[in-house]
Amino acid sequence: MTTRLAPVDAVTIGVGLTGAMVGHELTQAGLKVVGLERGSARFTVPDFQAPGIHDELRFSIRKAMMQDNVREAVTFRNTSDQVALPIRRWESFLPGTGLGGSFVHWNGQSFRFQVADFIYRTHLIQRYGKKFLEACGPELSVQDWGVTYDELEPYYDKFEYLLGVSGTAGNIKGKILSGGNPFEAPRSRDYPNPAMKETYFGALFRRGVDKLGYHPYPQPSANLSRPYTNPLGMKLEQCVFCGFCERYACEHFAKASPQTTILPVLLKSPNYELRTNCQVLRINLDNTGTRATGVTYVDDAGREFEQPASMVYITAFPINNVRMLLLSGIGKPYDPRTGQGVVGRNYSYQTTGGPTVFLDESINVNAFMSSGAPGTMIDDFSGDNFDHSKLGFVGGQYVGSIMTGARPIEFHPTPPGTPAWGSEWKRAVARHYNHTILLQQHGTSTSSRLNYLDLDPIYKDAWGLPLLRMTFDFPDNDIRMSQYIADKVVEIGHAMGGKVVARGGTRRPYAVTHYQSTHNAGGAVMGDDPSTSVVNRYLQCWDVPNVFSMGASAFPQNGTYNYSMTIGALTYWALDAIKKHYLKSPGPMVHT
Amino acid sequence: MRTAGLNAVKTAVGLAALLGSVHSARAQDPVRAPDPKNGAVIIAQGIGTGVPACAQCHAFNGESDGSGAFPRLAGQSAVYLAKQLRDFASGIRNSAVMTQLARSMSTEQIADVAAYYANMNAPFPPLKPLDPTLIMRGKQLARVGSTSDQTPSCNACHGPDGAGEPPDIPYLAGQYSPYIALNLQMWQRGFRKNSPESMAAVASRLSPGDIQAVSAFYQQVRDSLAASVPSEGH
Repeated sequence: MTTRLAPVDAVTIGVGLTGAMVGHELTQAGLKVVGLERGSARFTVPDFQAPGIHDELRFSIRKAMMQDNVREAVTFRNTSDQVALPIRRWESFLPGTGLGGSFVHWNGQSFRFQVADFIYRTHLIQRYGKKFLEACGPELSVQDWGVTYDELEPYYDKFEYLLGVSGTAGNIKGKILSGGNPFEAPRSRDYPNPAMKETYFGALFRRGVDKLGYHPYPQPSANLSRPYTNPLGMKLEQCVFCGFCERYACEHFAKASPQTTILPVLLKSPNYELRTNCQVLRINLDNTGTRATGVTYVDDAGREFEQPASMVYITAFPINNVRMLLLSGIGKPYDPRTGQGVVGRNYSYQTTGGPTVFLDESINVNAFMSSGAPGTMIDDFSGDNFDHSKLGFVGGQYVGSIMTGARPIEFHPTPPGTPAWGSEWKRAVARHYNHTILLQQHGTSTSSRLNYLDLDPIYKDAWGLPLLRMTFDFPDNDIRMSQYIADKVVEIGHAMGGKVVARGGTRRPYAVTHYQSTHNAGGAVMGDDPSTSVVNRYLQCWDVPNVFSMGASAFPQNGTYNYSMTIGALTYWALDAIKKHYLKSPGPMVHT
Repeated sequence: MRTAGLNAVKTAVGLAALLGSVHSARAQDPVRAPDPKNGAVIIAQGIGTGVPACAQCHAFNGESDGSGAFPRLAGQSAVYLAKQLRDFASGIRNSAVMTQLARSMSTEQIADVAAYYANMNAPFPPLKPLDPTLIMRGKQLARVGSTSDQTPSCNACHGPDGAGEPPDIPYLAGQYSPYIALNLQMWQRGFRKNSPESMAAVASRLSPGDIQAVSAFYQQVRDSLAASVPSEGH
């Protein structure tokens, strides 16, 4: 039996970053908002306090903060002629669950995307020609976002000040500034806080890339370099480099998260109600199929409720946004055989994996003292910062010395040729543990008509609903790109003093059995054309205009960088338009 | 690795103590290795340049007297102790008595005294039992923090029940309650600001009652006579 609840103005499916942002902006506008979170409530005190929060076995190995894949897994295959199997242990990517979502266990690596990223197709054709792009791979489905960097800039700015991002500006209003990233898209003002202190592995990297003529800069970080009070009055503290950031929550209020930047203010609003342990099953549509009437969810006692709402915001982990659309019958599912349909289309990921640099025993790296975003970086190979015309691929990667803590269970660097176990392995770990630097290559993932998300025909979740099926392998273009840059990074490894440099770079097939990135993107992409996008430039569903799909599922393809800042900027951008236009006259904000 | 690193430091300190010297690689420290024997002489007799014997207030073994006017120094990290003396000398940390005295000591003498006290393993004097409800409240703040105003737990930085996270973070376990309370008030009011600003931020969230409670809890952690609250973590 389903209990029908009193209607509200808006409901969010998920209370992570975008759910908290939607809640705050809409309650400020006077709307009644209900936040439905499938996981539990949790706060810095008491849930994130040390020493319990530094339990590497619990959080890094057993993934305590991630989606319960006994109840709700994702099935995976490389190509559409294979049978997909459920991922029962998260390794390649880590979808968070619980109040605050993945924005609790993130690292705080806080980049903006570049100007060209938002007009990617237009830009590539202008610079290299249509034939070049086709030659990179006929399967590539690169497209523009429908929003430009200049339009998003004020919202990047607002989001950076919400989080208190620490960095050194490289480009303020077109003026290139020393110490920052000269390739940075122009920003209207400086970061709210100065950059974090450079680590020793960062300093060694800087020495190496200086020799080669590249342009090092400090990684922008949402682990703060000093105490900061954000525009909502939330007080954040200075990061202590404890070495437990990614996969963990911060006990010191030093990492920007919904808990440290928005939620305490939002939860005090009389217009807001948070309901945790509530699993949304579907968005309900009226009999025309063009208007959502609310959502149906199950609480942790197994009771089913219908929550009527004038607006529905899908604010889940990106791939779960896509699943919610598919389960609710919103938008036409993508069919890879015909290329028709949009929901699930253009799922993209991230190309990662750099070399391991083995140093002399006299050099103590001490990487166990680290933050989540401690890097020294170069952008010389990011995006389209270098000439691709002779290279036969599009895209690029940043390169950085980013070690987020050399924790004992996970970090055992050994040079190639070392046995995988036994006394020789132990000797090698002891020899190299504190004298090894991991370099990061991290970059674009080009969307392809072969990669997509749909509902699995076989496997179901704990509520009897089909699991999401992921069909993905890296396009050859991305492998060529990653391998080209891998050679350059080996040179950097030697220039910074590496005695042995084990080459990195991405290879096929993509495997879900080792960690790569939690930057799953696309599947419900934004754009100007309803035949190639699910949502318009304001993240509003073309087919059901009172449903909004927030977050990285809207990216038509993934850019070079860690994507959280772009998620925040897009969310603020969409909410601003919704407040200015939609609330006054509900209906489609873009007409085709 | 963090824990292993700390153990390695402790082992190194222990070995060095056997060999009669403690080596520290900190940049501010003197070039020569600290000499705890010289430290012992200064502690017993003072220095001619206007430094009275440290033992007068802190006792020869660093136990100090039980009044709580003077902190216990025995077994405190040498790096931490030396930094406090340098901060008294530079005026970043304020004390009418200690500032004058630290200014009359050389960098080497500071390191020697710190090395001596760091190696001491002094007993904990029997103290008047404290209010058990106060201790329970303090234990909550020390281990979990305060959920109502989101004050983080003290143990998050100061180690299991205040055992310390050497070299930089001092132990609180067994420290005298009046001394802890006074220093929390100093942080609150800005008289003490010689470490990352987090101490001031945390202290500013504590009520006078909270301060009495955490101070009481940490004092009795090492007190063998106080069996009111069982202690964990060592």
